[in-house]
Amino acid sequence: MRKELENVIREMEKVIAGKREAIEKILLALLADGHILLDDVPGVGKTTLAVALSRAVGLSFRRVQFTPDVLPSDLTGFSMYQKTSEAFVYQPGVLNGTNLLLGDEINRASSKTQSALLEAMEEQQVTVDGKTYRMEDPFLVIATENSVGTAGTQFLPYAQMDRFLIRLSLGYPDYEAQMTMLRDRQGVNPLDEVRCVMTKEKLTGMQREVRAVSANDVILDYITRLTMASREHEAVEVGISPRGALFIDRMAKAKAFLEERDYVTGSDVQAVFRDVCAHRVLLKEPGDSVDRVLDELLKKTENPDRRGLFAGMKKQ
Amino acid sequence: MKKRWIGYAVWLLLVAGLYFFENNTGTRVVLLCSVLLPFVPLLRAAFFSPDGPTKEKEAAASMTVGTFDIPETEETGNIRPYVPGDPVRRIHWKLSSKKNELLIRETAAGTETAEKQMNVSQSSRQRKSGRRAAAVFVVGILLCVIMLLLIPGVRCGAQELCNRLFTASEAVNRYAYLRFTVPEGQDILPAAIILVCAFTLLMGMALMLRSRLTALGIMAACTLFQIYFGLAFPPWINIPLYSMFTVWMLRRPVRWNDLTACGVLILLVTLSVAVFLPGVDAATETASEQVRDRLSQFTEQITGHVAETPAGETETRHIHTRSLENGDGEAETGQEFRLVTAEEEQISMPHWINWLKAVLLLILTALLVVLPFAPFLMLNKRKKKTAENRKAFESENTNMAIQAIFRQIILWFEAVNAGAGNLLFRNWAAVLPEDLPEGFVERFARCAADCEEALYSSHPMPEQKRRAAMELLKETESALWKRANRRQRFYLKYWMCLAE
Repeated sequence: MRKELENVIREMEKVIAGKREAIEKILLALLADGHILLDDVPGVGKTTLAVALSRAVGLSFRRVQFTPDVLPSDLTGFSMYQKTSEAFVYQPGVLNGTNLLLGDEINRASSKTQSALLEAMEEQQVTVDGKTYRMEDPFLVIATENSVGTAGTQFLPYAQMDRFLIRLSLGYPDYEAQMTMLRDRQGVNPLDEVRCVMTKEKLTGMQREVRAVSANDVILDYITRLTMASREHEAVEVGISPRGALFIDRMAKAKAFLEERDYVTGSDVQAVFRDVCAHRVLLKEPGDSVDRVLDELLKKTENPDRRGLFAGMKKQ
Repeated sequence: MKKRWIGYAVWLLLVAGLYFFENNTGTRVVLLCSVLLPFVPLLRAAFFSPDGPTKEKEAAASMTVGTFDIPETEETGNIRPYVPGDPVRRIHWKLSSKKNELLIRETAAGTETAEKQMNVSQSSRQRKSGRRAAAVFVVGILLCVIMLLLIPGVRCGAQELCNRLFTASEAVNRYAYLRFTVPEGQDILPAAIILVCAFTLLMGMALMLRSRLTALGIMAACTLFQIYFGLAFPPWINIPLYSMFTVWMLRRPVRWNDLTACGVLILLVTLSVAVFLPGVDAATETASEQVRDRLSQFTEQITGHVAETPAGETETRHIHTRSLENGDGEAETGQEFRLVTAEEEQISMPHWINWLKAVLLLILTALLVVLPFAPFLMLNKRKKKTAENRKAFESENTNMAIQAIFRQIILWFEAVNAGAGNLLFRNWAAVLPEDLPEGFVERFARCAADCEEALYSSHPMPEQKRRAAMELLKETESALWKRANRRQRFYLKYWMCLAE
């Protein structure tokens, strides 16, 4: 693994113990230039994680606590008449000048606010009164969603869920991790100890490198077969969208980059498949488990190693 | 839905027509054709079917319907919840009332095209293999016919084979007559009832199992039973029985293509049999008469006077004819008498037996012609494949060479049943058998990583990686050969053509 990335992970582990896998996945999403949806019970460290990430990478960080009366203009900014200059002056919103935005409890925001945010996520720009403002690069949204206590909430529509690169669930820490956490927080706030070990410029450079990682036809064929199989699966109502396929590709590239390769392998795709696709699959039966379906897809679809090795033989 | 019932009606009409035809002409075409029915689906797959396999399609159709139990899945197509904007007349009112929500019946055309697109590669592959099988079958039949026509030796041999087959069945009949004597005044009706009951039971079981293979098996068993014991059910049992089998085996709903295929097949077989084999028994009878003449000549030469038939036999025959004339049941006693009657029945066996013999003969010869060559063709292909792969080991392109070598290693593992299926090769290391030499698993993992690099990256691999892979291949070969049992070694050497 790259030294810089290793350092970032080490810094973040100071704050969140025993969650190396989740941290790695968040870094992957950051490298792949995608947004993250954290779906979890309250109090497992979603906010802490986002703050630690912003500090370790040196990103400007802002946070919005969504409630039903947060308005789109709070996010995008608005124009206000100023008497002194006798003109409308643009007042920037939360999105402007932010690298890392934590949208807490996005499912409590009204749907118009949600869509304002999601448009910004997709285009990396906001338009107010016909004027378009570019946003900072890189731009990453970590949105959280509470799965309990959903009174007065607006669930994210399926179409908007599709725009997040991955959906993660941190889960409760195990015994050891929780003991360390409690011990660490006795005297000081460990968040203050997180050092900045990377710069914004380095991160954008890395994102460019990730885009340059090569995925050959065998891999693309595998991704296509996986997504098509998901659409034809008997328990699935809506399968993985083409956008989902693109996201698998991007995420797999990031995974390859993390392992210091300049080519994507089948194991990269398999490693990221569940996280990228879990929120893109709608099942027919509400009680059915998505993980089971995805595992089945991975198990049943012919893996690219075998396909590449043996299909090539037929061609000769 | 309507089409299906029309299909069934046409089929029933056909059966009825056959029944009258049989009654009037005394032939048994239906029984004859039952032997050929297994080939109908095959022919259909070869020439007619433009879409995917029936079973899967049915499964897909029933799947889309989900939990609702609708019998006519194929015609109704997909059922989905109502979305505002859907045409009102397409609402499936009956189901909607059951389910308490509005359900829409999607057009069959739309779903069908989608399904076609999904199954297109699969169905084309299946059609291809079906076509190949049909070609082999047709060529085999043609060869048989040509041989039967042109080579007199083959014809005589075939006739003899047939006669042997039926002599065997006669011998069994004879044994049964001697072994299980029928008591005096025994009525045949209870036995017949028991037989019919047993058959109905079997049929019911098969219908419940709902598998075509079972139908085929039971039909074959039924036919063989009838042939072997020379015990043909009357047409009013046979025709419904076989038509039931047929309807069952055909694609549901019955389509015109199936019916035409069936009809053409029946016609072809009837014609060919009538033209090529106009009576096996007549030939045998002449032959046996000649033998009898020569025998009597011999006896004449030896004893000096003409040989006579034994007195007892003529007497029984005499009694028998008399009893037949008088309609007197009292005279029908004794084993000898029964034997003679059996013989007479054999002699007066109906004409259709000849046709049956001919069809059996055709199939038998076809099998004999085609089967011996099949393994050679297959083995040759495998040998070629292995040789090609081996040639790639030395290829200029190291990436291709490493892939070829690793492919060979994988083939070795799979040939001895030690592979890990659809796992990525880098994950195989964890599930390889434990009795491999020390350090092998690590070397395998390294080689798998190399292979991955060769497969996915665009840069050329260094030469030493090829050498490492080659060494691993040699190691694999020796290690797996050592732990393989005799059967696996045979398989490796002669079937997979991997070991030298």
